[in-house]
Order: sequence, then structure tokens, then C-alpha cells
Amino acid sequence: MKGSFYTLCYAAVLGGVCALLLTATSNFTGPYKQANAKAEEVLNILSVLGVPFDVDASGERLVEVFNANVREKSQGDMKLYFYRPSGGKAEVVAVEFSGAGLWGPVKGLLSLESDMKTIRGVTFYEHEETPGLGGEISSDWFQGQFVGKTVVDDAGKAGIFIKRGADKSASNEVDAITGATMTCDKIETMLNKTVARIVKGRVENGQ
Amino acid sequence: MANKQQPSNCSSCGSGGMCQGRGLVTLKDGVWSNNPLAIQILGICSALAVTNRLENSLVMGAALVFVCVGSNLFVSLLRKVTPHRIRMIAEVAIIATFVIIFDQFLKAFYWDMSKQLGPYVGLIITNCIIMGRAEAFALRNPPLLSIVDGVANGIGYAVVLALIGFFRELLGTGAVMGYVLLDGAWYEPNQLMILAPGAFFAMGIIVAVFNALKGPDVEGKR
Repeated sequence: MKGSFYTLCYAAVLGGVCALLLTATSNFTGPYKQANAKAEEVLNILSVLGVPFDVDASGERLVEVFNANVREKSQGDMKLYFYRPSGGKAEVVAVEFSGAGLWGPVKGLLSLESDMKTIRGVTFYEHEETPGLGGEISSDWFQGQFVGKTVVDDAGKAGIFIKRGADKSASNEVDAITGATMTCDKIETMLNKTVARIVKGRVENGQ
Repeated sequence: MANKQQPSNCSSCGSGGMCQGRGLVTLKDGVWSNNPLAIQILGICSALAVTNRLENSLVMGAALVFVCVGSNLFVSLLRKVTPHRIRMIAEVAIIATFVIIFDQFLKAFYWDMSKQLGPYVGLIITNCIIMGRAEAFALRNPPLLSIVDGVANGIGYAVVLALIGFFRELLGTGAVMGYVLLDGAWYEPNQLMILAPGAFFAMGIIVAVFNALKGPDVEGKR
């Protein structure tokens, strides 16, 4: 009995100390993590919209650039980001999307030109895919493929496809990642859903 | 129970060499003759998963050194007061604390790398090297020697990881940490090395080389 009591006390103290250490660490790193997250969010939106900024800029500077150039607007449950490129007449738009990846949620941003068909940029900024395989969705070569593609085919049918051995000349096909078929399928669905939502939102707004 | 078997009289560290010569033996054991990855084949899950880039391997190695040293130190410090029945739970609690601390710091100051490694830093909690060292070494040995053991095994793991990472990145992409070593003009990067099978090949070759260099296993002499 005495032994059990000691064991309980020991477990409680050890657990308490560990919890205390973790809380302290979490408190200490909290502001840095938040700043990282904010800077990254802003950086993602700026890059996908193609807003010019200094790549070495600090997180605070990025937030300034963001506030000066980008207009936020909620449309239904979507958050839209508008930006007017210098010399451009119409605004380009970016929208956040998210969905299930292979191992966990994937979050990203899709930016469309003012024609609302041509992709200006795509970025997957948060995912838990396998590093080196599905994780490649956040690499430049993969995301870069989307630029200039359209979310409809030449006949006007909606859909963007991520395929093995994609036809480079097709306006709505990009290459899939070797070894990450499941991830690619899932993000393909995600992108198409996002496009559908944008179209739906525009129809409802009578645009 | 464990502390009764304590073989060494290492309490007089500082007078002569580290832990009366056992420090060096411990160091050599962990890094070379009893290398956790190449000889004991422990903890290879992470070794296979994160080694497609040298940088990832290095950070992962650093994580393991940190956690192994920390957990060995505290398990060793607490070895005389830890109730035997719950010692493994206590070990896991200590290990988890260090892993999460490392993960938090990575997230705060090395954001990109944290994203690259994904869940594998957190999975160090279940790495059997760390648990194994706590059980097999830190429970029976004094703190300072346990630190040496932690460093040795951490480095042993990190070195093997770095080797695998170096060759996989080199053969898989032609470049290492941004430096192009195998020119794309004549070298066709072998995707296989980046993929999972490449990890098994690299791991197998490294285990073979380690064993060949080390000579016949000690068991043979027994």
C-alpha cells in the first residue's frame, strides 16, 4: 500500500514537472510561432497574387506590404483576397481552400486572373504529406506547373487535371508527382471543388 | 533493482579521465562498435523516412542527440527514486517532454524545416533507440556517463542518417544542399533513390559496409 502511494506521488510529481516544462516552452515559443504563422500566411497570399515584395523582407514588413496592396472580402464562407496589379485594369483574386490530404489536412491558396479562368498561382502551404513524396506538392516545380493553365478545358468544361504524363500543351493538365498518386488525386478534387465554389459564389452575386 | 547492479565506481568523475576510462568505451560503443542503426538496426523507421535530403537528416540527427542526452540524463538522475513498476511510463514521459520541446523550438525558429519533417520529429517519442538507451544504460549508470552514452548514440544515429541522406540526395537529385555535384548534362537523377526503396537500398548498403569494416561480430568470438 505504501509502495502504491509512493508510486502515485512519483507519477504525479513527474507528470506535473513535465507539464510545467511543456507549458513554459509553449509560452516562450508562442509569439514566435504566431509571428511565423502570420508572416507565412501573408507571404503565401502575396506570392500567390504576384504582389511584388522583397524576398528578404521581415515578417512585419510583409504584413505592411499586404495591408497596402491587398483587399480582403468575405463571400459566403470563403475569404477572397483582391489585388490590382500595377498597370492592370481588373483585379486578380485569391481564395483559400482546404481539404483532406493523404495523412492530414491540406491547406492552400488558388489565385485566378481577372478573367476568372486562368490560374495565376497555386500554393499548398500546409500539409502533412510524406516529405519527398506527397510533400512535393509544396515545391516550386509542382506549384509552378499551374501558372497559366486554365480551370476549364478548351471546350469550356470546368476541371483541372493532375495526371501522370500530362499533355503539356493541354490548357488544363499538369504533371502528377511520382509516388504520390493519392495525394495528387485528393488535391485535384480539392482544386476543382474550389473552382466550383468560386463560380457558384459569382453566380449568386449576379456577377 | 536496477541500481544495485551498478557496476562502475564512476562517482569520482573529474579526477582522472572521464568516468575512469569508461567514457571513451561508451562513446566508441554508441558511435561505432554498437551503432544503434548500423549494428543494432534500431529506430530505422525515421532513418528511412526523412533521409531523402541531407538537411533533413542533419536536423533529425540533432533532434535525436538532444533528446537522447536529455532523457538519459534525467532517467539516470531519477534512477534511484523511480518505482520499478512504472519506470517505462516515467521514461516515456521524460522522452516525450524533450521531443515536444525540440519540436516547439523547431516550429518557432526553423519553420521551414519543421514543415519538411512533418510528423517525424514528434515520432521520436516512439524511437526505440532512445527508449532502449534509457532502459539498457541510463537506469544502471550515473548521470555523466549516461550523457556520454546519449551523445554517443545520438551521434551514431546522426552519422548514419547523414550518410544515407547524402547519398540519397546526391543520386536522387544530383545536388546536395543546393550544390550541384553531379551535373544534369551527363547525370540523370535517379528518382528511385528519393523514393522509399532507395532508402532501403542505402540503408542495406550502409549496414553491410559498417559490418564489413567492423570485422566479425563479437558474438563470433564468444
